[in-house]
Amino acid sequence: MPREAEPSLNEKQFVLQALQDSIRLDGRELEQYRPLELTFGDQYGVADVTLGKTRVLAKASAELTVPYADRPLDGIFNIATELSPMTSPAFEVNRPTETEVLISRLLEKTVRRSGALDTESLCLVAGQKCWSIRVDVHVLSHDGNLIDAACFAVVAALRHFRKPDTSMEGGVLTVYTPAEREPVPLSWLHSPFCVTWSFFGEDGDIAVLDATWMEEQVSSGSCTISLNKHGEICQIAKLGGVPVEAVSLLQCTNVALIKAKDMSSKLDRWLTEDAKRRDKGGLLAELSAENDRVPDI
Amino acid sequence: MPLDTSTYGLALLRVDGRRWNELRRIHAQIRTQAAADGSSYLEMGHTKVMCVVTGPSEPGPRRGAAGGAAGGGGGAGGQSKDAEVVVNIVIAGFSSVDRKRRGRGDKRTLEMQSTLANTLAATLHTHLFPHSQINISLHVLSQDGSLLAALINAATLACVDAGIPMTDYVTACTAGSTSTYAANDEGADPLLDLNHQEEQELPGLTVATLGDSDRVVALVCESRVQISRLEGMLAVGVDGCKQVREILDQVIKAQGQKMILEGTVDKGTGLNDMDLD
Amino acid sequence: MAQQQQHVLLSPAELAYLHSSLSLTPPIRPDGRSATQFRPLSAETGILPGTNGSARVCFADGTEAIVGVKAEIERTKRRWDDDGVYRENAQQHQEQEGEGKEGEGQEGSGDWVELTVEIPGLRDDDSGTAFLGRMLGEALLADGGFVGRLRVNRRFHWKVFLDILLISPPLSYPLPLLSLTTHLALLATRLPKLKSEGDEDPFFDDDWAAARYLYARDPVTKKVVERPPVTLLVMAVGGNIIFDPSKEELAVADVALAVSIGDDATATKTKEDEMEVDSSSGRNLKLLSIRTVDPPSRLTPPGVANAANSAYGHAQVVNTAATQKMPEARQTESEAVEGVWKPPRGGAKASVMGALVQKVLVKGGVADEVLDALEGVDTS
Repeated sequence: MPREAEPSLNEKQFVLQALQDSIRLDGRELEQYRPLELTFGDQYGVADVTLGKTRVLAKASAELTVPYADRPLDGIFNIATELSPMTSPAFEVNRPTETEVLISRLLEKTVRRSGALDTESLCLVAGQKCWSIRVDVHVLSHDGNLIDAACFAVVAALRHFRKPDTSMEGGVLTVYTPAEREPVPLSWLHSPFCVTWSFFGEDGDIAVLDATWMEEQVSSGSCTISLNKHGEICQIAKLGGVPVEAVSLLQCTNVALIKAKDMSSKLDRWLTEDAKRRDKGGLLAELSAENDRVPDI
Repeated sequence: MPLDTSTYGLALLRVDGRRWNELRRIHAQIRTQAAADGSSYLEMGHTKVMCVVTGPSEPGPRRGAAGGAAGGGGGAGGQSKDAEVVVNIVIAGFSSVDRKRRGRGDKRTLEMQSTLANTLAATLHTHLFPHSQINISLHVLSQDGSLLAALINAATLACVDAGIPMTDYVTACTAGSTSTYAANDEGADPLLDLNHQEEQELPGLTVATLGDSDRVVALVCESRVQISRLEGMLAVGVDGCKQVREILDQVIKAQGQKMILEGTVDKGTGLNDMDLD
Repeated sequence: MAQQQQHVLLSPAELAYLHSSLSLTPPIRPDGRSATQFRPLSAETGILPGTNGSARVCFADGTEAIVGVKAEIERTKRRWDDDGVYRENAQQHQEQEGEGKEGEGQEGSGDWVELTVEIPGLRDDDSGTAFLGRMLGEALLADGGFVGRLRVNRRFHWKVFLDILLISPPLSYPLPLLSLTTHLALLATRLPKLKSEGDEDPFFDDDWAAARYLYARDPVTKKVVERPPVTLLVMAVGGNIIFDPSKEELAVADVALAVSIGDDATATKTKEDEMEVDSSSGRNLKLLSIRTVDPPSRLTPPGVANAANSAYGHAQVVNTAATQKMPEARQTESEAVEGVWKPPRGGAKASVMGALVQKVLVKGGVADEVLDALEGVDTS
């Protein structure tokens, strides 16, 4: 299995020593994120997130299926994470590495288990028909902090996504094409964001936000905290690594809340901008006029 | 399985009759298995786990495809200067009330393996065993909540038994909060050591600390909870870890004493500075 | 088995020594046992209250296994009848072709048992693990009566899950250990007492004390009347037959066999009157299955005879030429040399196989001894 080249001893020492003096290679503050950018695709539900040189693409899609037998009233919601060799030669297709398993578990816990998407609203006919929402996460470029970027991309894609409108009349389920009726957004309950701290040094006393790949390689531990803007923790994962004082972990959580609120307002702004852009030319008005005529036929 | 937590406010007793700061019964044994380098058996209430440690030893052939994900290796590979900690968790099909089979590829199990490997790698003095491998295999015989905590405690005991140098005990326990997320109750009390029923219904976290300090090695929270409640839960959890450490320490000392009496260990070989009163 | 764990780190000289000492009459085994002696073991049952039956066995060499049995009620397939009409039809249908039903019932019943083997460090789809699982399951199903015990009524049956865990690192070939543990766990297995009658939806007695044993016991003495099968590992070296081989002994085996035997309880009962006088053990052993186990000895490196060793001057010229010409020549040559290790080639002789099986089944022999010992384990 090919491995990522490790940084040399000199490089490691240099990065660590600089961090001890609170200096980062790219000149950021310890608690400062790299510039976060989001572009929506032409289609609904495609989000392309860049965080410095890290780039993640998420695409949401929906299809009609039969709900699971043990959960007849719930729709299906899945997040598929793929780290391809395009990202780094250490990743191979169809052979999940530890990183990939951990990322997909974190996304799953953050977005799915915290109930961000109302899965009950995806059910159309109990036990027979429901929507299956799937988000595919593709990492296009890996320069550290994949988790935060991937989580942001997933949330953005899902909030941007529109699923075809449906109606039930006399036991007949109709699914409308986008031309017939404007697709509807998902029933979204809250937006969780991941904030990852990296710890450095023997005692883990240097805590850094949004580590680059180089920093991740020399770090001695990390902790990912997922929160929404209401101050609710959805998940914390400090999976081993250097021991950190409990008090500083609490401080980290508080800073993480500020960052999550910041990300939340950024996403809101981008979403409204995108909605405005799409509305231009009275596309929405035209469609709604068409819709009015449909029942008359 | 809705759990009636409403009575807690009246009697301040939990479903199993404990108070908020009480641990369940912890029973532990070390050196349970003759063929292994180190072994332990641990019960936290009805959660029962066994741990077997082999190594540090020469790393076996790389398991190719399985090596990355299934091995859950902590620390770097065999070519590095540190020993690799490989954790393998087997959750027996009969361990839960309803039989549920989990394959080796189960992501939850993989995550636990990786957590354990990284937790132990940070505590064991792996730099003393370059180019070698420490194999830790854990068997879950019965589950009743606090699984990750029990696994960490059992692994710590087995590593002590195997005689692998380590900084201090890594002990873990769970902590929760009395009212559910939805209740949005500001006056919620923290709870120590959740059982399965509580784990299903209430927010909770698993915390592992190093020795007697407040330093957190692992912190895993998988449920939605208000940020204001974190501090209380973390404090109770860290305190619980200290209690667990005392219990594990007694187990180790009792076993050490027994071994000296039996003559398994010479009294003069490094154990003489152990406090054996 | 997987190469990794069966790989024996013994030199050809050591192998040759082992082989010749095991071929002596009587054989000398490295641990001083006699040819038919088993390693001492300690066993306990009922260790896991959350299961229907469980057992733990530790061999003296430190290997340890735990088996848990869990049973679930399951609707018997092919009778997808929820309302009365369908069932009547189905019954008529069955009555019309009674024999066909019999046959199919047996066929489908194999899925009523699910057996999984977990060996630390091995994937569960590893060939070695799968082979072990098949062998243990095969013995259980070959004992035709077993699935019959799981029948509740015509519409429902118990589905039994056997989870077999090897706790220790696999030091020796774990088959006998796992088999004995499974045997004990099944003996200790109890199923809730059925309270409903006939083909109605079954419901059971809550009282665990009233639960019946999967393997019936004498109501008075509480002694086990019927027993599940056991699988024993036997190997042959030279003319000797050796039971319960250790890993090192297996490394020089000519043949290794896994022999599953059962206790034919029904036969015992009928014959009891006649046999009471002359036989102390009233067992009627029957052979359930045999599997050859590929002994790791085939993969061991061959020794080089002095005569063929180029380090000895006198043979140098001839042999370097010979070895260069054809690599096999060296092996054929060394075949004849006494005291030089040569991995066994080819199959086993029919007479050896016959002797192996005979030795297992003979009255008062090893199988009897093992079953006697297992009877000593308190399974209540």
